[in-house]
Amino acid sequence: MITFDHLSKEYNGVYAVNDLNFEIPGGEIFGLLGPNGAGKSTAILMLTGLIEPTAGRCLIDGVEVAKNPIEVKHRIGYMPEDVGFYTNLSASENLDFFARLYGLDTSTRKSRIDELLSMMNLDGVEKLVGGYSKGMRQRLGIAKALLNDPAVIILDEPTANLDPQGVADYRRIIKKMAADGKTVLVSSHILSEVSLVCTSIGVLSQGKLVAEGTWKELTRVLQGEQVKILVETRGSMPEFNHPDLISAEYSNENHEAVITARSDIRDDIADTLREQNVMIRQLTLDRSTLEQAILLYYNTGDK
Amino acid sequence: MKSNGLPVIARKELRDHFRSRKFLLIFGIFLIITTIGMISGAAEYNKELQQYNERQSVADDDEFGMGFGGWGKPSIMSIYLQVSLLIITLGAVLGIAMGFDLISKEKETKSLKILLSHPIYRDEVINGKALGGLLALAIALGITFIITFAILLLSGIVPEGDELLKILVFGGAAFLMILSYFALSLFMSTVANDSGKALVYTLVIFVALTSLPILVNGPVMSIVIGDPPEYPEQMFSSDSVHRGMSVVSSSVSSDGKVEYKEPEPDPVWEEYNRQIKEYLNKRQSISDTITLISPTMNLQTLSYILLIPDYSRMMSMVFSPVGGDDFEVQETDVFKDIFKNIIALFAFPAAFLGLAYVRFMRMDIR
Repeated sequence: MITFDHLSKEYNGVYAVNDLNFEIPGGEIFGLLGPNGAGKSTAILMLTGLIEPTAGRCLIDGVEVAKNPIEVKHRIGYMPEDVGFYTNLSASENLDFFARLYGLDTSTRKSRIDELLSMMNLDGVEKLVGGYSKGMRQRLGIAKALLNDPAVIILDEPTANLDPQGVADYRRIIKKMAADGKTVLVSSHILSEVSLVCTSIGVLSQGKLVAEGTWKELTRVLQGEQVKILVETRGSMPEFNHPDLISAEYSNENHEAVITARSDIRDDIADTLREQNVMIRQLTLDRSTLEQAILLYYNTGDK
Repeated sequence: MKSNGLPVIARKELRDHFRSRKFLLIFGIFLIITTIGMISGAAEYNKELQQYNERQSVADDDEFGMGFGGWGKPSIMSIYLQVSLLIITLGAVLGIAMGFDLISKEKETKSLKILLSHPIYRDEVINGKALGGLLALAIALGITFIITFAILLLSGIVPEGDELLKILVFGGAAFLMILSYFALSLFMSTVANDSGKALVYTLVIFVALTSLPILVNGPVMSIVIGDPPEYPEQMFSSDSVHRGMSVVSSSVSSDGKVEYKEPEPDPVWEEYNRQIKEYLNKRQSISDTITLISPTMNLQTLSYILLIPDYSRMMSMVFSPVGGDDFEVQETDVFKDIFKNIIALFAFPAAFLGLAYVRFMRMDIR
């Protein structure tokens, strides 16, 4: 569990993070969204013990970061946005060095490193990290974040340089981690990525948390606006009837549909499909709708 | 909860140094040139020793007792003196090369942020880097001195106790000098944003420290302490013979014998003597102080005192005004003479390692 307790950070009279106060429960994949300069990275740096807060505190599983940095760092796995490694070492040498810092014994180190390199498709790559592509470094960064089998995983822009296969692997791994009861905090500006992976979201704007909740809760801001929902099913889907429904465009022999509504009616659509025994392949908000909602929150922060 | 960052980082740094092409190249050149210098020095020493022995045997057969003992027995120290300048120059380069990118490279490659996110204290990073560098230097110099010893022994030269001690002290001082430049470049690595700037800053200070004593001993000295007192004109009287600090008058008696009178104290000469002594002392103390600031010059001075027999005596003769009671130059204790140099060689790296520590601890990690 991650707790931000009235956390603030000031640089030369300007608050990069201003009174951040919320909790992320265990087993959740939490997305931290915000424009550049919103305070996402500063909040993460305080959470990882790299900088100290001006006021307030942050806690990992009830342990205060500023007071017990070593204990907290044993519990977290962190991958920064601009992930850097020792370019004169190979991937396994880099991981071995970091694993020693966690105090892992030789056999644990070896088995863990082999497992992670295999998981991230980096096994058998003998060259030095200096010769790695950005995507390979990012995959190595994810492996490093999981090295100590942490309870809390903090990832800053984890998919920025990944290829489609890397992104798919990342999603699979993150979802498995959450299923294993680990807490995952993902900071990203890639909205579609956050919407696919994260179960709840926090929106930061100008150092303040302007919104927090599930996607369904966040899209309530769009009440009265047009919400686009993408539906994809295995079987042929029935026609939907809902008071908020504006229009529905069916295609591909009624296997796909774009629903336009006055609110997020995904739960009602899901109920209807279940009643009709139609298997759902996709039931997501259209990216434009998510952007619309998030921009509304960003503007709230500006005000 | 405990952290094991210091030994892990120090070990990685040590390994990195010995895997670094830059380090291996400079150390390789250092080792090759030292070895060549030692071999030629040992050959020269053996030749001089043979000549000395031949002179001694001639002197023993010299029934008229003319004596050929004017040139002393050659010293083993001269072999080390021959390579000391090389050790000073290349050693400083090695120290700078090892330290200038230790922190700045971590900043450039963004590995510092990821390193500090691990369960370690921040001071373990800078201490681990300093310790790793210190160990690498100690091993490198240890190897060098073992090789130089081996060359001596293979050349049939066995140092005596006092000589061995002097060689070890010289080795220790050389280590401190190289450590000084390592500490300076490590500090610059924490100050500069990139390795290029760190190297430039370090080289500027290195050049300044090396040239400062030369500058100060030259024109700057005259500006700081003024010109030396003028030699009194009235000293050259027609019937006086200037001998040392005293004036001896002579006269010729009626029977043609030259009679020497007891020296009479000349107040003008005594005043000049006092002023020149004061001037030379001031000049020497400023020169000594400036030399202490520069690790290379400091080690050079120290190596002269240690490796040239009677160096201190010779220098005190050079800087003493002529004549008088002070003309008598006392025997000096070599280790007492180098005490302040050793202290300065400890103080320099300690100061810059301290500065690097403070700077690193206050560094903004964003």
